[in-house]
Amino acid sequence: MAIVSLQNVTYKYPLTDAPVLKNINLQVNEGEFVAVIGPNGAGKSTLCYTVAGFVPHFFKGELMGAVEVAGAESSKSNLHEWVLNVGLAFQNPFNQISGAKYTVFEEIAFGLENIGVPREEMIQRVNDAMKLTGISELADRSPYSLSGGQQQRVALTSILVMHPKVLVLDEPTSQMDPIGTREVFGVIRTLAERGMTVIMAEHKVEWIANFADRVVALHEGQIIEDGKPQEALTSDVLAGKGFGISRYTSVARKAKEIGLWKKDKLPVTLEEAVEGFKNV
Amino acid sequence: MNSLSIYVARESGLHRLNPLTKFVLTLCILLGGFAFSSASSGYFILLAVITPLSVWGQVTKRMFQLVFNISWPLIVSVFLIQPLFWGAGTPLFEIGPVSPKLEGALFAFKSSGRILYVMANFILFSLTTRPDTLMISLKQAGLPGGLAYIIVSTLQLIPQYVAKANIILDAQRSRGLETQGNIITRARALLPLVLPLVIGSLLEVEERAIAIEARAFNSSRVETSILEIPDSRTQQTARIGMIIITILLITGKFLWLS
Repeated sequence: MAIVSLQNVTYKYPLTDAPVLKNINLQVNEGEFVAVIGPNGAGKSTLCYTVAGFVPHFFKGELMGAVEVAGAESSKSNLHEWVLNVGLAFQNPFNQISGAKYTVFEEIAFGLENIGVPREEMIQRVNDAMKLTGISELADRSPYSLSGGQQQRVALTSILVMHPKVLVLDEPTSQMDPIGTREVFGVIRTLAERGMTVIMAEHKVEWIANFADRVVALHEGQIIEDGKPQEALTSDVLAGKGFGISRYTSVARKAKEIGLWKKDKLPVTLEEAVEGFKNV
Repeated sequence: MNSLSIYVARESGLHRLNPLTKFVLTLCILLGGFAFSSASSGYFILLAVITPLSVWGQVTKRMFQLVFNISWPLIVSVFLIQPLFWGAGTPLFEIGPVSPKLEGALFAFKSSGRILYVMANFILFSLTTRPDTLMISLKQAGLPGGLAYIIVSTLQLIPQYVAKANIILDAQRSRGLETQGNIITRARALLPLVLPLVIGSLLEVEERAIAIEARAFNSSRVETSILEIPDSRTQQTARIGMIIITILLITGKFLWLS
């Protein structure tokens, strides 16, 4: 059953003429992991903000069509109630730290304080969430003394602790170094394995191929491809439009032109490429 | 704790007091002190009230260090200026046109006592009270949540922005910006240093707003707190008692004067 449903969604930011999202139709099932890819300016972040309720509640502007999560409609809800259904984490970890808290433990509890969770339950939930994301050992550190990857995991934990039904991630690793990227994707993998419904805008196709159930490609505010990662990420529709393409796909595409790649399907990951080139 | 706060963690009874009790105590010492007008009353409050409290809070040494560091320039200038510019009075000595007056020196002595006790009072409070727990208590007492957030987060974010300013300084210098030399060179360097910081900060404000909204900051539900802030009947009574005593002291002084 679809837990997230966007029907004919068109959105324009205030003071702009052209819509950023054009007639988007997207249904996401419970437990599905959807990766959203697209070149810069394609509308990935705006799509994330739309599902998370910040469009239109925070950014204002003109939203047409219906955005539904778990049967509730965004335009009829308040942002502070909506965020209990949909959690949002984004690029910059530094800006996601509230600044009002002195330890990681208290930082993660911030959202629960705001919604009035009793203290005993709060401590339990914070501990559980930290265990899930593997940051228990950071509990007493200052959020500002952490590395980018650690800060981003704290930001993710701060959202997860609120038990959202859907998690929206807007390029959560775009400002991470390779170590931070691996740390953050480690957490995301855990969530995927646990059956969390996730919508993630992301450039790193090789990571996407590892654990997304589905890939949606955005181009100039429209969905131009929607399917299984292996097919969507190697689709010809994406060629020449500025999409991030796996280096293994590019190599195999060249190889296919000169008859070296014998398979029908192009590879996305190293494993698939090795498999395909074995027979050469 | 990377913060502007001077809080020092100690396992003392004063630290464990409810922040609101300490807040009221600090305000009462401040206002009550002005009910005493003798020349040495400031010193008396410092030694008989604030110092014992600081011993209780195990921060006496740190408190006097900070009081000294902050107040010595003020006290030195008060002692230099007051006697010299005191109109008519008893001259202490005369060297040409310079003739410091005894009355001025007495006034400087009295003012210095006040400077010392007011500073020690606030420093003791800051040394023994975490800003976040104070804000939680003030919020429970009716301070708007948004205001409390701004105060606490500013204390934490300013050091972060200082660090960022230094990065910008290094970046612009490495592109050949002259930041040293005469006043005109320095003034010219200001814009390329301040603009990136200010514009960057403005952009960050939006992201931070999104981040705290994503954590239901504007929720209409009654907030709870992860930090347990101890309070008791005794402390509540003590707060009201302190307020009444202070009001009595001040009104008493005015009635007595009139």
